[in-house]
Amino acid sequence: MKTQSIYRYLIIGFIAVLLAACTNTDAEQKFDQTPTERLNSQKNELSDILLSSPNGWKLVYFTNNTILGGYTHLFKFAANGTVEMASDFDDDTAIYKSEYDIQLGSTMSLVFTTKNRIHLLSESDNYPIPELEAKGYLGDFQFLYYGQENGEIIFKNNRVNENTGVNGELRFVKATAQDWADLHKNIDMIDNVIGDPSRPLFRLLETNDGKTIHQFDFTFSEITRFAEANSVETGYSVTYDMGIGYTPTGIVVSPAVEVGGQKLTVFTYKDSDGSFTATGTDGVSATIKYSTKPLVITDDYKKLLPGQPQTVYGYIAANLYNAPTNSALFKDLVNKVNATLPATQSIARIQLVFNNAVNGTYIQYQFNGGKAAISHLVTTKEDAVNKTIILTNVGWTQSAAAVAFLKDLDAELTNPKGLYVKKEDFKITYSNTIYTFTSAASNFRMTSYAL
Amino acid sequence: MKIIKYNKIAVLFLTLAIFSSCSNDDQVGESQLNYNQPTKTALDNWIGINYLNPYNINVQYKWNQNTVDNSRYLFPPLVDKVQPALEIVKKIWLDSYKTIGGPDFVKKIAPREIVLIGGVNLNSVGTRTLGIAEGGQRVTLFETDYIDKTNRANIKEFIHTIQHEYIHILNQNKPFDEKAWAVITPVGYTADWYNYSIPSSNELGFITSYARSNINEDFAETASVILISSKAEYAAFLAGIKSPTALSALKAKEALVVKYFKEAFDMDFYALRDEAEKNTNAVIN
Repeated sequence: MKTQSIYRYLIIGFIAVLLAACTNTDAEQKFDQTPTERLNSQKNELSDILLSSPNGWKLVYFTNNTILGGYTHLFKFAANGTVEMASDFDDDTAIYKSEYDIQLGSTMSLVFTTKNRIHLLSESDNYPIPELEAKGYLGDFQFLYYGQENGEIIFKNNRVNENTGVNGELRFVKATAQDWADLHKNIDMIDNVIGDPSRPLFRLLETNDGKTIHQFDFTFSEITRFAEANSVETGYSVTYDMGIGYTPTGIVVSPAVEVGGQKLTVFTYKDSDGSFTATGTDGVSATIKYSTKPLVITDDYKKLLPGQPQTVYGYIAANLYNAPTNSALFKDLVNKVNATLPATQSIARIQLVFNNAVNGTYIQYQFNGGKAAISHLVTTKEDAVNKTIILTNVGWTQSAAAVAFLKDLDAELTNPKGLYVKKEDFKITYSNTIYTFTSAASNFRMTSYAL
Repeated sequence: MKIIKYNKIAVLFLTLAIFSSCSNDDQVGESQLNYNQPTKTALDNWIGINYLNPYNINVQYKWNQNTVDNSRYLFPPLVDKVQPALEIVKKIWLDSYKTIGGPDFVKKIAPREIVLIGGVNLNSVGTRTLGIAEGGQRVTLFETDYIDKTNRANIKEFIHTIQHEYIHILNQNKPFDEKAWAVITPVGYTADWYNYSIPSSNELGFITSYARSNINEDFAETASVILISSKAEYAAFLAGIKSPTALSALKAKEALVVKYFKEAFDMDFYALRDEAEKNTNAVIN
């Protein structure tokens, strides 16, 4: 009997399980389609949109906008899995063909599977600065698809950005025929961003929020396409560091320069004064421009004035000719002087001696190759308003004919508007403090050691 | 009796339940997966004929993030460079082993996949990784874009990589006598091998500085350097070693390599070297 009832219950149990088993198979569906259907539709969606733009797509690729600038790429995708591509990574802006694929990575992704221009950003042994050794230009060529917005395709980098810890976003915007035709103009713009030696020596970023104007010193590194702008005002410590991408008409920056709550990214070049301007609304603007005056004018000239102890500053050709703070005009004038001398002779030093107990203040030109030094005795006075020191002729140690070859160079040092004097915070070769002497009237700047 | 009766009823129910439970399911439709073969280019066909069909070795030259280290900044090779690179690999590596080891040798012990990478795999310490062998299955070769058939040193370096990685594959199939090897130059192995010049490593009994990283690399370097050198070149190298202990260490290692090839694979290592030399000359000329 006992076994019988066990069987009975078992069988009833089985039947109950069986009957119940099929009644509730439908799990709650979060989506209308299966995962495979959804992946397939996403793949088709990406494929269709890539093919949809008649002139292809444009990507200004900022691989990492904390250290590098933007590299413009144009893509034209074909249904057969090939892509035509051009880039302004270097001077070669020609169009090359390669293959692409849409692959499932951590999400549906666009992959440039065979070599083309975009891979130039991912060459481990081609890196612009030592800290990027083995990392190239931090570029990716597999982009994760994150949908569309305003006709743009949103992607994310496959690699995580080391600085931010996230996969940086990038956007493909529809390219125009003009974009393809004008790509080489991006390269032509580079010289304007670097700055021409004939432009004034000082460069700044000026922001205007409609009420207040702020000034920032501006330095640009061509090799990384990256610019730094630091406030020059005391008590106002705003910094704009930005990656720069070239365009036919100017530059585009990332991150945006934020002025008065507006994000400015597109700067237009003006050839008449070499400036780049981004304009917002309500009087908001940002301009990268030149200035003939240093942004920060120091009082460093005061200790050279009459009555101060003797100080000596020497431009030493062997160590300082290639100093980055020498202006093109200075080097040009030095070269011209050397060209008038016999081949074995050249300028060795230009020494500015202030307030010597015996000889007062003088400029001394010393030469290599056995030529005797020549001195130009001067008096000094200050221009307290413009903060310059003015050197005025008293007389030479040699005849006018013997010093004629120094005339142009000397005229810059003794120009009537005077010299800005700046104690620099960098060193060159030796531990001596570096001082620069900049003409208030021209693009003349000489680098010297405090001796 | 009663039990049997219940059983019958139960079986009837079960059968009914089974039949009815699935009766209203949809028929399985066509696959949603895309199983179309991708279009094959002339290069793909060439790879099929020369690698896939005879050796069952797949060659991957298109980018696939699953076969590369994503933390490195690498890129796929120029398509034009793929076939020349594979021709060199086939001639100097596959053909040499085929001639000396028998037609089936490489078919049995070979990487199942060769991954080609276009550029340099630079390490943060400044060294370049030229190749990687993984689990006896996959060999990754870097710097494919820079192959120059007219440059002997360039070809030798590229072949050095594949010979070196293939020695690893062989070792991963049949281990060498690690105990005997380890006692030859017990000191001298170092993780920062790249800080030492090759001549200074030679004088310690190592064939290259990289050989000093560990005994596995030492074996692979010793075998592969001999394989890419001609008999005369290697004799000249040995003649230039000043330290007698270094010379005897190098010779002892060479003997172990020869013994390994003979015992593990019944191959004449020197004949293999001569064949590789012949094929290298054929590629360059």
